[in-house]
Amino acid sequence: MSVTEQPRGPGIGGWLADKLFRNYIWRSIFRSGYPNTPRNQMLVVATNVFLHLHPTRIHKTHVRITHTYCLGGLTFFFFLSLTVTGVMLMFYYVPSPGQAYTDLQALETNIRFGMLMRNLHRWMAHGMVISVFLHMMRVFYTGAYKPPREFNWVVGVILLTLTLALSFTGYLLPWDQLAIWAVTVGMNMAGTAPILGEDTRLILLGGLEVGDAALIRFYTLHVIGLPLIAAIFMAVHFWRIRRDGGLARPL
Amino acid sequence: MAVAAQAVPRATAVTRPRKEREQELLVWPDLVFIEFIAAVLFTLSFLILSAVVDAPLLNRANLDITPNPSKAAWYLVSLQEMLLHMHPALGGVIAPTFALGGLAALPYIDRKTEGQGAWFATPYAIRITLFSAAFASIFLVGLVLYDQGRHVNVITNIAQRVDADWEWPGKLAPFQNVRAIQTGWEWHIPVPEAAQLGPGEHDGELNWPQDFQNVPMPFNGTSGPDWMRWGAPDFLPGWMQAMYWYDLNMNTPTFVVEQFIPVFIMVALPFLLIYILRRLGWVQDVRGGAIALFTGLMTSYFVLTIIGAAFRGAGQDLVMPWDVPKID
Ligand code: HEM
Repeated sequence: MSVTEQPRGPGIGGWLADKLFRNYIWRSIFRSGYPNTPRNQMLVVATNVFLHLHPTRIHKTHVRITHTYCLGGLTFFFFLSLTVTGVMLMFYYVPSPGQAYTDLQALETNIRFGMLMRNLHRWMAHGMVISVFLHMMRVFYTGAYKPPREFNWVVGVILLTLTLALSFTGYLLPWDQLAIWAVTVGMNMAGTAPILGEDTRLILLGGLEVGDAALIRFYTLHVIGLPLIAAIFMAVHFWRIRRDGGLARPL
Repeated sequence: MAVAAQAVPRATAVTRPRKEREQELLVWPDLVFIEFIAAVLFTLSFLILSAVVDAPLLNRANLDITPNPSKAAWYLVSLQEMLLHMHPALGGVIAPTFALGGLAALPYIDRKTEGQGAWFATPYAIRITLFSAAFASIFLVGLVLYDQGRHVNVITNIAQRVDADWEWPGKLAPFQNVRAIQTGWEWHIPVPEAAQLGPGEHDGELNWPQDFQNVPMPFNGTSGPDWMRWGAPDFLPGWMQAMYWYDLNMNTPTFVVEQFIPVFIMVALPFLLIYILRRLGWVQDVRGGAIALFTGLMTSYFVLTIIGAAFRGAGQDLVMPWDVPKID
């Protein structure tokens, strides 16, 4: 990280880079120098908590878009964006049957960018379900579940289930006819399961039909329970990709 | 033991030969750049989408007004579609659980390392995929159409032009739809007087469906000779009682329609698919079979989702997409 690796030229760009990147404060935040040399480019990935989800080097076939179509990354992108827009929605949303629907209406009419946030959250949720399916298909057809990646595939199947559960619990929250009946249909399906079905239904709904107990349960699962679990499994998923030697490659 | 051998970490997968270094690129900038562009593109396109198309908000939730049709969320609509054709527990819970379990078990069944890391890398992979997708779509659409029974009207209409009194023969009821086996099908087998099977009057024949609607399960505690009759097992905890078929009598026609035939189809079709692909010589190993089954599963999910979301109108009737009522 020696200082001589900084871009230094007579021009204004060099002057700016000097001012921005060679001072004490900047260096206290970003340990590595400006990433214009291979060494610094690796350091920037290795020393940054977010970037270090990546390895520092990657096989060139895996950079080709047509290998992954970015689908896993896209799923993760949706997850992050859903967290951001979801937090925005939480500022205005009260999970009670008396208020939820009115809050949604207010969001659409009274609150600046409320409708935009709601739309983004809704469409990205659909996007995430679609992209997680497509990601699974890309992993399958590239044979990437084979040893040593067996377990990561299983983690993936869990993530698929969690994604569907996240979407399903969110579906109830607008508290409109679409919401309550879709959840009623879904929970009736679960209720038919042999032996455990009726209990599962009762526990998830907190009652016999979709009412206030169900709303608060779905809300809690949707905004904290399931996202936390999903985040943990994603951490395992990404960790395992690196532990298993990066993405799968022909032998 | 084979299991122990599996647990040994595969050193080869983690340490890489030196010369591969030349094949590698730096994540910064090569990958980070792509990720950045992708994130920007998708942020922009979803911003535009959200500015143009509003998320739906129907009337306030009201359990007293049932919308017709009421549908599950689109990714569960395929299960809802299955409910129309079989026992709800089977279509909504058991079959999907097996599908998910099978998915999770896949890498432990297909353990060969060949064919990884590249699209369709094993021989015939693309052909197997296309064939399985076509196979699953054709059979699913065919089965849904058959179970809907529209052909009955069509054929009856045509036949009545010729013979105004024509009706679908009772003997051929199973060709109307699955449910007709239970509700519209009648036949009798003569039974000699000597063979008195159970209590009740002997009318000299076995009639479908009446005589099959109350067949005692073996050891159900309420049928058979005296030593096979006992009281309800109240001493067992509730969940065990739920599993024990005390006093259970099988409704055979219902069982055939709701459970036996659907399970048979869901097991037999995958076998048939694999059998054909093996006869064609395209499936030669586990990977080939896995491609066929995975493709079949994904196609089934997809086709059933389309049918359930776009072609099911009021009363879950099969209609054209523009005839599906908009609910508010
Ligand atoms: C929330 C859901 C998920 C997220 C955020 C996610 C994320 C990712 C990412 C970022 C990668 C790197 C390569 C790529 O982008 O394709 C990856 C790889 C992988 N994913 Fe996922 N994934 C998810 C769900 C799944 C599912 C449902 C499966 C399979 C059932 C799965 C199995 C795998 C496997 C086996 C790899 C390694 C692929 C290889 O070596 O080429 N993941 N995942």
